[in-house]
Amino acid sequence: MTALPPSAELPSAELSIETRGLSKRFGRQMAVDGVDLAVPRGSVFGFLGPNGSGKTTTIRIMLGLAAASSGSVRVLGEEMPRQLRTVLPRVGALVEGPAFYPFLSGAANLLRFDAADPEAPAGTRRARVRTALERVGLAHAADKKVRAYSLGMKQRLGIANALLAPRELLVLDEPTNGLDPQGTREVRHLVRSLAADGATVFVSSHLLAEVEQICTHAAIMSAGRLVAQGPLAELRQAGQSRVRLLTPDAGAAARVMAGLGLTPDGGGISNGGSAGTWGEVLYAPLPAGSAAGAPSPEELVAALVAADVRVRGFAVEQGSLEDRFVELTGEGFDVAQ
Amino acid sequence: MTRTWLRWLPAATVPAVIAAGVLAGSLPASAGDPLPAKSPEQVLELIAQHRDPSFSGTLEQTSNLGLPDLPKTGPGSASGDTAWLELLTGPHTARVYRDGADNARVQVLDRLAERDVIRHGDQLWFYNSKDNTAAHAVLPAGGHHPSGQDSVPTPDRLAAKLLAALDRSSNVSVGTDVEVAGRAAYQLVLTPRSSATLLASISISVDGQSGMPLGVEVKARGQSDPAFSVAFTKLSLRAPDAAIFQFSPPPGATVKELPVPDHKATGAKEKRGAAAKAKVKVSGTGWESVVELPAGSLAKAAPAKGAPEQQGGPGSAASLLAQATVPVPGGRLLSTALVNVLILDDGRIFAGSVPLERLQAAAAAR
Amino acid sequence: MPGLRLLGSELGVLFRRRRTWAMLLALAAIPVLIAVAVRLSSAVPPGRGPAFLDRISQNGLFAGVTAMLVAVPLFLPLTIGVVAGDTVAGEAGLGTLRYLLAAPAGRGRLLVVKFAGAVVFAVAAPFTVALVGAGIGAALFPVGPVTLLSGDSIGAAEALARLLLIAAYLAVSLVGLSAIGLFMSTLTDVPVGAMAATVVFAVVSQVADALPQLEWLHPWLFTHRWLDFADLLRQPIVWDSFAANALLQGGYLAVFGALAYARFTTKDVLS
Ligand SMILES: Nc1ncnc2c1ncn2[C@@H]1O[C@H](COP(=O)(O)OP(=O)(O)O)[C@@H](O)[C@H]1O
Ligand SMILES: [Mg+2]
Repeated sequence: MTALPPSAELPSAELSIETRGLSKRFGRQMAVDGVDLAVPRGSVFGFLGPNGSGKTTTIRIMLGLAAASSGSVRVLGEEMPRQLRTVLPRVGALVEGPAFYPFLSGAANLLRFDAADPEAPAGTRRARVRTALERVGLAHAADKKVRAYSLGMKQRLGIANALLAPRELLVLDEPTNGLDPQGTREVRHLVRSLAADGATVFVSSHLLAEVEQICTHAAIMSAGRLVAQGPLAELRQAGQSRVRLLTPDAGAAARVMAGLGLTPDGGGISNGGSAGTWGEVLYAPLPAGSAAGAPSPEELVAALVAADVRVRGFAVEQGSLEDRFVELTGEGFDVAQ
Repeated sequence: MTRTWLRWLPAATVPAVIAAGVLAGSLPASAGDPLPAKSPEQVLELIAQHRDPSFSGTLEQTSNLGLPDLPKTGPGSASGDTAWLELLTGPHTARVYRDGADNARVQVLDRLAERDVIRHGDQLWFYNSKDNTAAHAVLPAGGHHPSGQDSVPTPDRLAAKLLAALDRSSNVSVGTDVEVAGRAAYQLVLTPRSSATLLASISISVDGQSGMPLGVEVKARGQSDPAFSVAFTKLSLRAPDAAIFQFSPPPGATVKELPVPDHKATGAKEKRGAAAKAKVKVSGTGWESVVELPAGSLAKAAPAKGAPEQQGGPGSAASLLAQATVPVPGGRLLSTALVNVLILDDGRIFAGSVPLERLQAAAAAR
Repeated sequence: MPGLRLLGSELGVLFRRRRTWAMLLALAAIPVLIAVAVRLSSAVPPGRGPAFLDRISQNGLFAGVTAMLVAVPLFLPLTIGVVAGDTVAGEAGLGTLRYLLAAPAGRGRLLVVKFAGAVVFAVAAPFTVALVGAGIGAALFPVGPVTLLSGDSIGAAEALARLLLIAAYLAVSLVGLSAIGLFMSTLTDVPVGAMAATVVFAVVSQVADALPQLEWLHPWLFTHRWLDFADLLRQPIVWDSFAANALLQGGYLAVFGALAYARFTTKDVLS
């Protein structure tokens, strides 16, 4: 419904990633179904969706690991997978969790992956590996066998692998998986600094809260379909605002609201309702925009006061992205299928 | 998708290319320079004028006689007793070196083993790597004696014998030219005038240049594949390195000194053959010849002691003979594509490239 | 050359695995066991046990030849099966395949490098057996002129050269099996499956080679000429089998290499 039109707004040259009608079928199941992504250059792009909604599959197709059943992908302006050789050296990736040779040290693993990149200069390899390890805080464990790494350390090493060379695009699939809160904060910090360097960062996550704070743009996947995308602010706006009313005269207030065409809800969506000494909390969603007939917040307060409702607290709350997420995916954080 | 299709293209073409290459290689390659046409008489002349040259070459021999295959490895593998029988079954490769009439070496290339016969002047050596045994004989000076290579029938020796025996009772024709060991060759085809024989034809390929027989192929009636064939796969007409004919038994080998052979035979095998030959009677001629061996020959011919019924262990000549024969009225029959051998209960043996009835008739006639 | 650097990295990974060394050690144990057993036993009569066994006590270098003969039917194919079967499937199983391809290693290039790594092992394996065999043989037995199958004798230096030639013959012999393993490896993400399939291939081929009913098939079996290395122990050397074997293995390499290429460059990497 509110899904923004695809790349129509931005010319392709300004897009780091652009997919058109991208679909991937596994047997009878459409893992990705007609996705039109438009990731602007320089953005920090949150790719959101519950588990199994098709995020990793989309990323695999973007990186040329899997072939699309139909549709096309352009990465950094080039056709994929045809231009894979010129594109991928400029892309750092973490896909479906980190993976390493357990019998090699962290540094040896990175050296190995870097050697696989034909464009990575061999002369600076060791220095670049050291820098990448320092950047994710693993310098002390560089010579430890990966077998002995914790899940969080592996995740960091995976991110370090994506940072081995200067990249124009970073694709990070669930980068905070397995990290402690401190690690999560560090990753957020890292993403910000990468973006500050001018890279586009494409972060997928099923945990919206982790991404919300750092993203400039986001897209939401649900069961293989792209249900919304755009600048974060627009996505938020597209969500419903609501009023929050604190009053001891809940019954009267509800009647007044219903009279004005609102649907108040005691306790509310966010489960914030509590009967304290100040009264009860009522929530009522506000219709989007200034739809005809809908009361403005100030008219609502005036009507409440006129009806002798004791208004002890009143606020208009901007809908959170999380509400929007739940609204669009319709299934919260449940796993699809 | 077209790209996917393209990626599978090599996987589809490679087998096709290999198959095409194999087919092209297996086609009877017609000689680049066609040989001048010759009548059968002229080809026979060509053979007759050829002299024992010096050469080194590789022989391939295949037999498809319908005998059971003998085990080549493991216990019971051919050595000693059954080695002579083993040469009749399955394929064999041998290298043959010859330098004039006095120097020759034949190497039968067995799997992980080798049997050698070396003749150097009057020195004759046999060597078997399997049991690391050697046998030595000194040939008497003077006279022509068959060199050791007769233990493997080389095409030229075989051709000479066949032509001597079959010339008169055969239709001789010249087939299409063939290529043998990379050389253009005439193909002399002998077909029996008589129909009372198991043989369908014998083809001898004759080197267009030197007249040396390069291959012999024997076909039996009712068989499309040759029942026996021996031919050079490689041949060089230059004299082999003299060192090849030098042989001294390796350290650790068991060396047996063979008694000095008499004038006509060489080595123990030939001697036995000569002893038997004295009493051999031949009836019929050419393709229909039937050979009669008197009673008691079997024990001599097959080195195992006793009749087939009192066999030795599995793999011994006697037991193999029992396996290979079927009972018929009056005795047992060893039937192969080329030869029938009737072993009568009284011990006499009749053999020939003829149907069983002919053998029985020959037996009854005596 | 980025390809060479990737090959260097590949060999580094292969030879930094304990598994690789364990397999080479196991192979090295074959000649040691044989030599020690012969040393401890009384004279071996000729014609008993594997060919050449009776020659070891006369000449230590035969320990290498006998060990190679013993290793050819099963032990060598087993180790090749493990290495070749692991090439692609092992990376897929670890998940590292997606990072190599995202680097981007290039699928064709990665496949070639993987195969080259397997071939390096296929060279290392028989040479390990040969050299360890020659070493232990020389330590436990006299080394002198060596008797060839033809009954001629050659000096120790030439004998050592022939021993290495046999190892080279076996290395060539294992190329076809390596290509089969590579293809098997592109079919699955489970390395053990690819390894087992490769070894089964080698065993089935040898069984088929022993059945006279399948005689028409024999020249086409990649194991058919494995034991023909004995032709290098004749005087003069029969080079035909070396060439024919190389051609045969080349054919298997072409067929299974093309299959592996087709499969690997078109498959979805979902591990
Ligand atoms: N290898 C596969 N074979 C079959 N189905 C798969 C495979 N990989 C993923 N899927 C299916 O595709 C859908 C999307 O998976 P995925 O892209 O991994 O989701 P996400 O990364 O968003 O959690 C899921 O329903 C999953 O079951
Ligand atoms: Mg995922």
